[in-house]
Amino acid sequence: MPQLVMDDEDGELAMLRDSVAAFAESNPGPKTVRALRGNGRDMDTAQWAEMAEAGWLGLMLPEELGGAGLGIRHQAIISEALGRALIPSPMAKASVLSSLLLAAAPDSAERVRLAEGLIAGSAIVVPAIEANGHLVRLNGRREGNMIRIDGHIEFVEAAHSATDFVVLAEIDGKTLALSIPANAAGLSRADKEGVEGTPLSILVLEDCRVAPEKCLIENVEAKTVEKAIDLARLAASAELSGNASRAFDMAREYTINRVQFGKPIASFQVIQHRLVDLWTEAEMAASAVVNAIEFLEGDDEKAARLAVLAAKARASDAASLIARRAIHLYGAMGFTDESDIGLYLKRAINLGGMLGQAEQLRRQFVIEERAA
Amino acid sequence: MQTDWNALPDEEFRAIFREWVDANCPAELRFMRKQRPTYEEVKDWYQALSKKGWLSPVWPVEYGGMGLNPAKHMIYVEEWARLGCPRIPDHGIGLTGPLLIQYGTEEQKAEFLPKILSGEHLWCQGYSEPNAGSDLASLRTSAVLEDGHFVVNGQKIWTTLAHCANWIFVLVRTDKEAKPQRGISVLLVDMTLPGVTVRPIANLRGEKDFCEVFFDNVKVPAHRLVGEVNQGWTLAKSVLGHERIFLGAPTRPEYALGRLEKLANARGAFEDPAFLSRYAKLRLDLYDLGSSFERFAKILRSGGELGSDVSMLKIVNTELYQRITEEMLMLAGEESRYNDDLETENGDVDAMNLFLDSRAPAIFGGSNEIQRNILAKAVLGLPG
Repeated sequence: MPQLVMDDEDGELAMLRDSVAAFAESNPGPKTVRALRGNGRDMDTAQWAEMAEAGWLGLMLPEELGGAGLGIRHQAIISEALGRALIPSPMAKASVLSSLLLAAAPDSAERVRLAEGLIAGSAIVVPAIEANGHLVRLNGRREGNMIRIDGHIEFVEAAHSATDFVVLAEIDGKTLALSIPANAAGLSRADKEGVEGTPLSILVLEDCRVAPEKCLIENVEAKTVEKAIDLARLAASAELSGNASRAFDMAREYTINRVQFGKPIASFQVIQHRLVDLWTEAEMAASAVVNAIEFLEGDDEKAARLAVLAAKARASDAASLIARRAIHLYGAMGFTDESDIGLYLKRAINLGGMLGQAEQLRRQFVIEERAA
Repeated sequence: MQTDWNALPDEEFRAIFREWVDANCPAELRFMRKQRPTYEEVKDWYQALSKKGWLSPVWPVEYGGMGLNPAKHMIYVEEWARLGCPRIPDHGIGLTGPLLIQYGTEEQKAEFLPKILSGEHLWCQGYSEPNAGSDLASLRTSAVLEDGHFVVNGQKIWTTLAHCANWIFVLVRTDKEAKPQRGISVLLVDMTLPGVTVRPIANLRGEKDFCEVFFDNVKVPAHRLVGEVNQGWTLAKSVLGHERIFLGAPTRPEYALGRLEKLANARGAFEDPAFLSRYAKLRLDLYDLGSSFERFAKILRSGGELGSDVSMLKIVNTELYQRITEEMLMLAGEESRYNDDLETENGDVDAMNLFLDSRAPAIFGGSNEIQRNILAKAVLGLPG
């Protein structure tokens, strides 16, 4: 079973891993995925509340905001375990990314309100700040002391359950980070069905009026937001790494149990070599994520940035490849809706497409590395 | 008093080693095109290391080695590669030495180890045979004990640098009735004995660095047996310990990617989005191989032992090396028809040389298919 291998002297990481595994026992991921899909529900809010109770939300919020002040390695262990168990949640965005945006904001009542709600699970704070891996800035203008926003943003998950959105708006050449209540006038939503059967929404803002106290950051630098996005990318990478690892285990187990020609098909060399290659991919994904975590914990920002791009690209490709090949190894069974392996593929595609696809991130890596 | 290298902080050891190597490894030997120079070509460097006492990084100090632990050994290898030092004929240091230190008699150790360090004995490794490659245990070169001598008959092949060696350690069959693995022994053979014939084989690059070695009634004194008779398979398998990680060290793909980048810069290929995309995949595969290598290196640094899973590095490494050199030929366009190096304004790029060289590592040291077999059984626990 490939997994993130990191120093864990006091056993904290192992405890986190165990607590997600216990959660998965009572809330099996595939069951939740099947329950959610097709009926317009975007997430399981009861499970989200349970995650809040377990202390997994807002994990990376600074202690001054009531957060656990834990680091990216703790987040990665949780995300990996969620990915392994296929538990659906908007963790990378509505916990990691929103926490880091709030952490970057100066002190304000709105910031405190959102942070408290995020940790408690009572506020579902969904950042809608990027699409296709690029920042999206909406058009803003000031009118008196109100801010009016126009524009739209695609691929927003958990948009039904969200209590608050965080968006970026451009006013007079400056970028503002704004909090917008989900029930704000002028805010509407159009849904498309996502690959996992839950909706991805287009948020449409038409003359949406935002009060000045909802402004989280007056003049937010792209670099600050990119850094927050990189940490969310890392969380998504860890989730993908967990997904890849479990899909590999499933392929291994299936081929060991499946008997044809009087033998387990895993005894055939052609199958064995394919399994070895898949295992190698899962191992490489885990190592890439650990590498990125170590750089993120260090001082070299550029190296950390490159390591995150590499980890997301590797983990996305590994998860997708392993699930695709696993489906093939399952034979016709893999093509059924009944089999869970297909759900792993859909999750891999879903997370792989989020925050920049592998090919795009690899090119970005080379461009940034060569620019040095 | 010999320095206890392992007691030094890593970076201090690195600095000391690097400074001396940089000052003493002759400039003309750095970054040699040849993967396997002969002893004559690198003699001065070999002797300089020998005099300094740094020729053998891992052997215990009592036998004239540096006694480095795996963490320090990795630094030694890293700095060696970084400075572009040539590979020295290292079968004696890397294989015969550890074999004798672990299984040899006191007499064997006293006789052979100093002569490896002095360069008097140059060793080669007699394992593969024409009909025993991946299935090494089916080897047939026979050794029959008669009047205090093993009489050896048969043929070895792909014996690297045999034409430059004067001693060979040979896997021989000493029991034809037993299961293949149970009837093998290890002999130390003086190649100047009557009946030993060496015939070099030209490789794909036109170089002669591996050979056939024939044994025709070669009389090897019985005390040249290493360990117990018929226990040779166990000995042969256990020679490489933590050194297995170096089969996965990304040195060659790293060098090749650097060449590819140079060629691409010179040809303006980065302007081509299709090339950029293919290059990015290779670059990231190399980067991620580094992260995976680091995972195993960390195990060694913390005093742990490597498992069979380290074999994955060899597969990824050697297959990536091939893909990089294939891209180089694609980029070369019609110039891929040249055997000569490709000229660029920043210096020549040895595209064909690397392309041909990259065929070998996926085959030697246990072909990648054998590595996959090992991983399937030992790591994934697959049946059959």
